[in-house]
Amino acid sequence: MKRWFVFCCVFFLYAVPCSATDKDVAGVINNVNGTATVERSGQVVEAVTGNKIYQKDILQTGPDGSVGVIFRDDTVLSMGPDSRIAIDEFLYSPADGKLSFVSSVSKGTAAFLSGKIAKLSPESVRVETPLAVLGVRGTRFLVAVD
Amino acid sequence: MRRIALFCLLIFGAFFSISGCAPKNTFVLLPNPDGSVGEISVTTKKGTQVVSQPNYATEVSSPDKIPSEPGEMDEGSIKDRFGKALEAQPVPPVTFTLFFKSGKDSLTDESEELIPDILSTIKARKSTDVSVVGHTDTKGSAEYNRKLSLKRAILIKELLVSRGIDAGFLDVDSHGESNPVVPTGDNVAEPKNRRVEVTVR
Repeated sequence: MKRWFVFCCVFFLYAVPCSATDKDVAGVINNVNGTATVERSGQVVEAVTGNKIYQKDILQTGPDGSVGVIFRDDTVLSMGPDSRIAIDEFLYSPADGKLSFVSSVSKGTAAFLSGKIAKLSPESVRVETPLAVLGVRGTRFLVAVD
Repeated sequence: MRRIALFCLLIFGAFFSISGCAPKNTFVLLPNPDGSVGEISVTTKKGTQVVSQPNYATEVSSPDKIPSEPGEMDEGSIKDRFGKALEAQPVPPVTFTLFFKSGKDSLTDESEELIPDILSTIKARKSTDVSVVGHTDTKGSAEYNRKLSLKRAILIKELLVSRGIDAGFLDVDSHGESNPVVPTGDNVAEPKNRRVEVTVR
């Protein structure tokens, strides 16, 4: 009995995080200049080219920093210095009808080139700022929060 | 005493005007890389402003005001404000579309010829993020199509791995019939929709 319990614990320990891997990847960091970080579940780590980005991650750049990210739906996002962007929700699973890309720019500058989610379901793409909400129709745009 | 209060007020006022007590959010529409122009809508509690001309911007100074009438932003101002963000924009991903011989697990001759291009693009971009996504037309059930497109995507993944691409860089997915190139009704055979897309990021 005890052995089963241990087995189950170990199984879940491995099985749960594993099942939550690849499909949940939102994007990959394409380039980093200067200081830039990724905040995930309260932990802040340095942003590194090639690292994966997940929904709920928060990207932040320092006074000399900039970051470029390519998302799984081909959305291209970059941010300038002193900027903070949260990837609030990223779902790209057309076969399940799950499409959503919600991000919020709380400070600084960002450049977006929207991807497949905007093409398949424009109403599922939203960029929030402290004062307004932006919606897109397959397009390239800039956002500044001062 | 009063003088001190006045002084404090003055300092306070100056502090707020410098530290951005007057917040401003700016939204600029740019032309797409292919020259086409999309559209953005910017919404506050009071209303929505649509921007549909390239390099036009709308500004929001309060959630309780309608976003400003779109106005053109000159290139110099765009560069001043957004230069660093634009410099960091990754090169957009490149997508290759592969077709299979009807009812077979092998590629058409034209698609076979694309494989070397895919390999060289991955190398040139030093890409570590390549997705292989299978698609079908709407003929047959959604579940069947999902499995079929996954099977074909896996075939392409194996092909790329056999030609030297690190399997860890390849992400396989299947969109079944839900992401067509040519939208059709249900149960329609459309060869253009039966494909595997390889996207190099």
